[in-house]
Amino acid sequence: MDSMQRQYEEGLLAWWGVILRGSKESDGPGEAMVLREMKKRSADFYNLLPECKDLDSLNRLKGEFVGRDGSHAAKLMDRLKTAPKEQKRDLGAAINGLKQGWEEGLKTRQAELGAAKKDLNALADRWDPSLPPPVPARGALHPLNRLMDRLVEVFRPLGFHVEEGPEVETEAHNFDGLNIPEDHSARASSDTFYLAAHPDLLLRTHTSPVQVRTLLRVAPELGTRGGIRFLAPGRVYRKDEIDPTHSPMFHQVEGMLVGHGIGMQHLKGTLEYALRALFGPHTEIRLRPSYFPFVEPGCEVDVSCPLCGAAGCRVCKGSGWVEILGAGLIHPNVLTYAGIDPTVWSGWAFGMGVERMAMMLSQTPDLRLFFENDQRFLQAMGGLD
Amino acid sequence: MWIERKALAAEIPAAAGLDTRRLCETLAALGFPVDGVAAREGTEALDVDITANRGDAMSHRGLARELAAKLQQPLAPLEASPAVEGAPGIDVRLETPACPVYSTAILELGMGDTPLEVQAFLLALESTPKRLPAVDASNELLHRFGHPTHAFDADRIRGAVAIRWARAGETLTTLDGVTRTLVAQDLVIADASGPIALAGVMGGDGTKVTEATRRVLLESAWFDPKTVRATARRHSLHTDASHRFGRGADPAMAPVARDLLVDRLRAWCGARLMGAWTVGSAPVAGAPVPLTETLLARVAGEPLSLAEAADALRRLGCSVDVETGGLRVIPPTWRHDLSIPEDLAEEVLRLRGYEHIPSVLPPLEGPPEPLSPSYLQRQRLARRLAHLGFHQTVTYGFISPEADVAFAAPGNPAEGRTLVNPLGQEYSVLRGSLLPSLRAAAEQNLRQGAREVRLFELAPTYASAPQGPVERFTLGMAWGGILDGEDYLSPARPVREADLSGIAQELGWDRLPEVRSLGEGLFGFELTVSELPPAEARVIPAFRPFSRFPAVERDLSLLVDLGQAYGALAAAMKAALPLDTLQDLRCVDVFRSKGLPEGRQAWLMRMRFQADRTLVGEEVDGWVAAALAAAESLGAKLRA
Ligand SMILES: [Zn+2]
Repeated sequence: MDSMQRQYEEGLLAWWGVILRGSKESDGPGEAMVLREMKKRSADFYNLLPECKDLDSLNRLKGEFVGRDGSHAAKLMDRLKTAPKEQKRDLGAAINGLKQGWEEGLKTRQAELGAAKKDLNALADRWDPSLPPPVPARGALHPLNRLMDRLVEVFRPLGFHVEEGPEVETEAHNFDGLNIPEDHSARASSDTFYLAAHPDLLLRTHTSPVQVRTLLRVAPELGTRGGIRFLAPGRVYRKDEIDPTHSPMFHQVEGMLVGHGIGMQHLKGTLEYALRALFGPHTEIRLRPSYFPFVEPGCEVDVSCPLCGAAGCRVCKGSGWVEILGAGLIHPNVLTYAGIDPTVWSGWAFGMGVERMAMMLSQTPDLRLFFENDQRFLQAMGGLD
Repeated sequence: MWIERKALAAEIPAAAGLDTRRLCETLAALGFPVDGVAAREGTEALDVDITANRGDAMSHRGLARELAAKLQQPLAPLEASPAVEGAPGIDVRLETPACPVYSTAILELGMGDTPLEVQAFLLALESTPKRLPAVDASNELLHRFGHPTHAFDADRIRGAVAIRWARAGETLTTLDGVTRTLVAQDLVIADASGPIALAGVMGGDGTKVTEATRRVLLESAWFDPKTVRATARRHSLHTDASHRFGRGADPAMAPVARDLLVDRLRAWCGARLMGAWTVGSAPVAGAPVPLTETLLARVAGEPLSLAEAADALRRLGCSVDVETGGLRVIPPTWRHDLSIPEDLAEEVLRLRGYEHIPSVLPPLEGPPEPLSPSYLQRQRLARRLAHLGFHQTVTYGFISPEADVAFAAPGNPAEGRTLVNPLGQEYSVLRGSLLPSLRAAAEQNLRQGAREVRLFELAPTYASAPQGPVERFTLGMAWGGILDGEDYLSPARPVREADLSGIAQELGWDRLPEVRSLGEGLFGFELTVSELPPAEARVIPAFRPFSRFPAVERDLSLLVDLGQAYGALAAAMKAALPLDTLQDLRCVDVFRSKGLPEGRQAWLMRMRFQADRTLVGEEVDGWVAAALAAAESLGAKLRA
């Protein structure tokens, strides 16, 4: 670039001399005007030249200044037609010199801009396919969304659709409708975020209020539609300080099925299908008794460790099993709250923590990575389908 | 909860024959997973996870009872020599049903220390022996048998004892040295001077047993679980006792635990029983719960015999009548969690083992429902953006008020979206815009050395409204840094506003996108997802014919004022052109340089014409002239 700049300046000086000399020797008003015009155009040209960032704009500049018709150089020449012979010769030489300088500038600039192109042409002759090619920009889905999408995909063939609900919820939907006692510690402001201007509103602590909303909505038509089965993926909030294993916001996927004569066998059958679809056909599942207020019986579900094939590893602490979700048969109080007769209808529900599962499957050491959104993490963990 | 293996085996001898792994598996299969095993004091301690509904299992005896039922092995007999009850040594009055039974005794303490094996037992459970037999014995009983008891220094009690509601404003200094102001919902043990203990939670400092204590008053009672939970929460005082009373202790254990305590003090320090008595009586067993054969079969997934179910429930301590088609079950005094038929069905399955539950796919009873258009739209949007090079982010829904106010819409005050109990000021407002979070994530990426950052988030934003925040699914995007230049074909350039506008347009946003500057060379844009055009409802759109004749392209280089609005000029030119042949009109380049007249810029406008015939040069010239005339009417000039 520096050498090019020097070249422009040298060219300028060389021809400026001619122009100045000419101006000293002449006194006609026409000559002075032409010289002024030359000075102005030349200044314009050298201002515009470095602005040309591609061959298109360079060609336009070329047309504007040295083109055969209508260019500045051509117009200057035109003005010489009426000049006296002596002036015609001197000025003509000066204008030609100026034009030559422009052309050289254009050529140099073109060489610079075209360097890549030229090399490309050479490359095309002896193409090295191992040269890194231009690749389209690649984004990524977030790993948590990807995992939730996958779960939806797994349950779709069984007739499950997706239900969603708001994150700002009422106590009724988040607690009352789920058979959670009025004095349950989860309702305390030490566990749950409440809104200042709306003391009755909170940030949902699980995706279960979507159950309540959905059951309330479909209760009148449950018979005609033949029960309901759905997943409820979403963001939930609990008042946990941020650390490697806790976050005040995280994701859950809730599953629910209501029908006639639904029992634990249907829960087991569905989860076996889904977890095999997720982790592979040789996956085993194990139900263990547990307790959640909104189900009865309740259970924890373990899956044979997908990382070691149940041989025992660090993740499954050598047991061959990892806990994957909580589930159970819908508590009759939950159905009754929604206006569904528990002597006619029954069902099951499960809920799983998406981050927990993602961390387990990916061996991500720190929960906070999922919310830092470093593109390197997202590329590696989320990617595209 | 810590469980010491030898103490467990003392309650159920069969447990001694199980290796640790098998013991842990058996406990887990009963609903009590073991989180860890620690070697301590020459023995093994198991960290057993007990769910909130099973207060009865919060002791060695409690878990032994479960193991005995599962393994069908006998429990060790409970060896307590019943104290002969006599006249009250101190007047004890029960003033509320929240304490229906209160067994007590007065003992004169002798000399002696807590036995070493008991000290080791407590240490194995991470409990420090106090070397005060009355205190350590009470503590040992709690862990071994699950029933909390308490010992007062009898000589420091003034007058009669009452179990009553506190008077609002009364104070009590508890054993932890904290002076607490009580409310009328706190149940207390009180003497003539005022409260001397928070019932079921913690004793008082003024009547505590010390080395100087000569006589103790023992307490073994039953307190209402709800009352104990409320008091523990109110005073943030969660103790071993409050955990057990709060989940429901066994009222029948009140006199038994008293006797066990008396036995220990006699044995450990030669204490002399001065008198034992019980005030009130344990509440009578609850109403019987029915369990029909039908419900049991439905829950279990296969028909189970009533005899098997009755046997399982009896092993758990229930009294069971077998009737036609079902059972009539009275749960034992320690099981407060068995109140509906489903609870009983669970017990039967639990003892049977969940591994025996069959695996069946539920039949479809009706047609499945499609995924909602809104959900599908967001799914497609996310995929689309990922394919356009954007990275999906997940950020918290709450941000700082300062970050929020910079981007939230003017009519969306933060007051209606503010949390009363945030984790901190920086997480206190439900965000009115996704851009602050995206800006933070983008800046973090650039700081970490990212050459280009391209992020998006699909999440609700919140708008304050009288009835509470309204949530709208919002798409936010941030783009900044250096674009391209990473291979030999594409030149590098900084990301510009227009790049985001282009994405908005690509997504179908039909208004002028309001791209915001998020910082040096970083741009953001957000839109409400529902305002994007919905996905085509038809599976395949209707056929639109297209021309197979060659298209003609013409460029016009126009000098226009720097303030000229492009939209107006393009619209004027379009209006002058035949719409049936004009395929496209767009500005393909902009020049702003010193070489142009002051205050002017040059736009290179490209027009593309196509029709169902070959276009003639002259007619195209005519159109271009008309477009130029239209542009000139707005002050544009053909660039020379
Ligand atoms: Zn493993």
